[in-house]
Amino acid sequence: MFDFGAFSDALGIMATSAGSWGWIVPGLIVGLVFSAIPGVSITMAMAIVLPMSLYMDFFSAVVFLTSVYTGAGFGGSVPAILMNIPGSPASYATTFDGYAMSLKGQHNEALGYALFASTICGIFGYLLLLLVVEPLADIVLGIGPVEMFAVAIWGMLLLGSLGSKYITRGLLAAALGILIGTVGMNTAGFIRGTMGIPNLLDGVSPVPAMIGLLAAGQLLTLASKDYIIDAESSREVSLKRILAGCWGTMRYPGVLFRGSIIGIIIGAVPGVGSSIGNLIAYAETKRTSKDSNTFGKGNPKGVIAAESAVASAEGGSMATMLALGIPGGGATAILLAAFMMHNIVPGPSFIQSQKPMVYAIILNNIVQAIALLGVGIGFIYVAANIVRVRTRYILPVILVVATLGTYAVDGQVAGPITLFIFAMLGFALVRYEYPVAAVVVGILLGRMLETEFLRSYQLSGGDPLYLFQRPAALAIVGIMLASLGMTAWGKRKQAKQEAEEEAAMVRLQQEQAVAGARK
Amino acid sequence: MTKLTRRDALKFTGGGILAAGVIGMPHIARAAYPDRPVNIVVPFATGGYNDRLSRAFAPHLEKALGQPLVIANKPGAGAQLGHTYALQQPNDGYTILCTSASPYIPLSILLQGAPYKNEDFHMINLPSRDYTLAATSSGSSLKDFKEVIDKLKADPGSLSIGVQPASADYANLILSMQAAGIDPTKLRIVTYDGGGPNRNAAAGGQVDVGFVGGEGFLPIKEKIKPLAMFAAEKVDWFPDAPLIGDSGLKTDFVEGSQRGWAVSTALMKEQPDIYKVIEEAVSKASQDPAAVEALKKQQLSTTWYGPEASNKAFKENAEKMAKYIDLLK
Repeated sequence: MFDFGAFSDALGIMATSAGSWGWIVPGLIVGLVFSAIPGVSITMAMAIVLPMSLYMDFFSAVVFLTSVYTGAGFGGSVPAILMNIPGSPASYATTFDGYAMSLKGQHNEALGYALFASTICGIFGYLLLLLVVEPLADIVLGIGPVEMFAVAIWGMLLLGSLGSKYITRGLLAAALGILIGTVGMNTAGFIRGTMGIPNLLDGVSPVPAMIGLLAAGQLLTLASKDYIIDAESSREVSLKRILAGCWGTMRYPGVLFRGSIIGIIIGAVPGVGSSIGNLIAYAETKRTSKDSNTFGKGNPKGVIAAESAVASAEGGSMATMLALGIPGGGATAILLAAFMMHNIVPGPSFIQSQKPMVYAIILNNIVQAIALLGVGIGFIYVAANIVRVRTRYILPVILVVATLGTYAVDGQVAGPITLFIFAMLGFALVRYEYPVAAVVVGILLGRMLETEFLRSYQLSGGDPLYLFQRPAALAIVGIMLASLGMTAWGKRKQAKQEAEEEAAMVRLQQEQAVAGARK
Repeated sequence: MTKLTRRDALKFTGGGILAAGVIGMPHIARAAYPDRPVNIVVPFATGGYNDRLSRAFAPHLEKALGQPLVIANKPGAGAQLGHTYALQQPNDGYTILCTSASPYIPLSILLQGAPYKNEDFHMINLPSRDYTLAATSSGSSLKDFKEVIDKLKADPGSLSIGVQPASADYANLILSMQAAGIDPTKLRIVTYDGGGPNRNAAAGGQVDVGFVGGEGFLPIKEKIKPLAMFAAEKVDWFPDAPLIGDSGLKTDFVEGSQRGWAVSTALMKEQPDIYKVIEEAVSKASQDPAAVEALKKQQLSTTWYGPEASNKAFKENAEKMAKYIDLLK
């Protein structure tokens, strides 16, 4: 499983190509900056630098591109925490508690938590990969539509964690999101809801739609304020508090571990990418926490859970790309192209014949994650200053940058138009108290839900008992139900305890009243 | 000192622009094409086959054209957006398409009502040819395509089949089933919205047989067993794959993909001098030994078939697709 000979050869490659190391820091900075701009996704950041990498030698190109990838994995959480606008769908769940922490004046700590959760789980993910990169190929190929459908349902369970004033409006909003997510040509070739517009054949692009929905409500809220954080004393940018947040991450090893495992597994599944892992990791952490009622109100565990799944998903995605030559998401598709452009075709034979190179690439990613610890602290220290800028300067900048970002995705006006339409929709949703978050989750998961359900139906010929031929799917459903059951049981126990305490309090008060009356 | 009014200033500027136009115009007309960078429109996202082909070929084509190339990815709507964009550009030879002409041009017309015709595109060279490959997982008990046919004849629902709807692969699946006398509506077909997921499903045994473009299987060759390649002759990049003819089944089929270089027909007809320059440059670069070697390493094709053969192949395949379009709906 683990080849020590190849490993020492890999160390040799790392040592002899020391010149390539110089690309790590520029790559990280490019990734951080691009992905921190709302509307610019990781995929796009990599697509921009891909042609540049053609002029480098192979190892330098891979180091540079993977550094961009590593940096971009974290960068998206910076606007998520500071402004409640995720840089990319992968950092969506980070907004829930990250922004709540910012409002409480804990933005320094929140950024620190996010950075360390991201890097530690990134390192953990790659370490695990060193061991399983080979068998992973067969595991990934064994994942079929039924399993994927179960995962998508799991993602939808997040809706229960979002919490909204009206359950009916939450469900209605989620249904709207799923409907929007299924616009376009589906996997069976049927075209729905495109209104004859060719741009909609591929569906509504999720990035501009998400930014539009979230930014509209957020910008309106911000417009009524002078600064993002109300209390003037809280608007400080403190390295000490950032580091305190970083260090605080270590207090939650359980959250980090669970998030990484969820991230790696979901990231490794081709075509899912990291945008779902963070939702599931957040929902699971919230559900199993004793203090689940403080999630969404600035609980550091929420930030850690979401970020831990993002970084580790990169590792999983990279493993699939190396082991099978199959990209897990948009960003690894670009990496794959970069490999091919340097005459290297990843896949089973590549892993067999070039194991030292594979190990060297994974090791280099670990080095990048460690470097990100340093570069990231500097980056968030600079970025956090946004809380000291008046919102009247921030708002127009966000609007312009987001519009340009969505335009740049494929150089078509379709991006900004989508942004505008969804901003209007977001405004209406906020105005009438429908949860925007539920629509976003629906958009992110709608297509996957439909596609995998349809394929499961086609594969089984409509026989529901087919589920019992798929042990992995049964296991996923089992874990999901067990998790739900445990939560329900825990909640009941908690409610019982609370009721008992309350009864005790009442009794105490009565006794005191009686005692008082006697006096 | 005369007073310069705003009106005067306007006149001067206007005159200046006019003068620049008058002086500039004949200059543009006389200058030898190309005198500025040429755009290569790729109607697919960064990283796909056409994108890689264009980027790998660009340095050699740049040398032959004498001008830098700018690669513009215009993905979306089954390449319809990129094709429309390319046709909308000025007819001056500064736009060259690198695309999967077949099946995307005919399919976008036949199924999506794209606002152009097959005849609007003129093929310069289509070096990359891909064919539908029926394949199963390497661990599968299926031996050959004949066994697949026999099993499906006995019970059309006995095997699950993965395929992309509205694709050449789908047409080939239906044509071969009809030739074997199997009712296609009774098959257990699982649809995929991309070649990649379809190949994974076949390699991982999620579906029993996958009908999908063969070239993409090359990186995971060890994980699959090829059953039938829908090609007339042995395919040089996958020589050990049995042909559909070897299975004993007599069936018509369409070619999977024809990828390469094209321009608008309008350019070829209205600007023959400019067109000639482009054609010669593509021809020269395609046969440049350095280009052939560089592209071969990346598993990309450079074979020079020339405009005549390429257009003929494209036209024939497009006609065949139109003929069988009812199978795809």
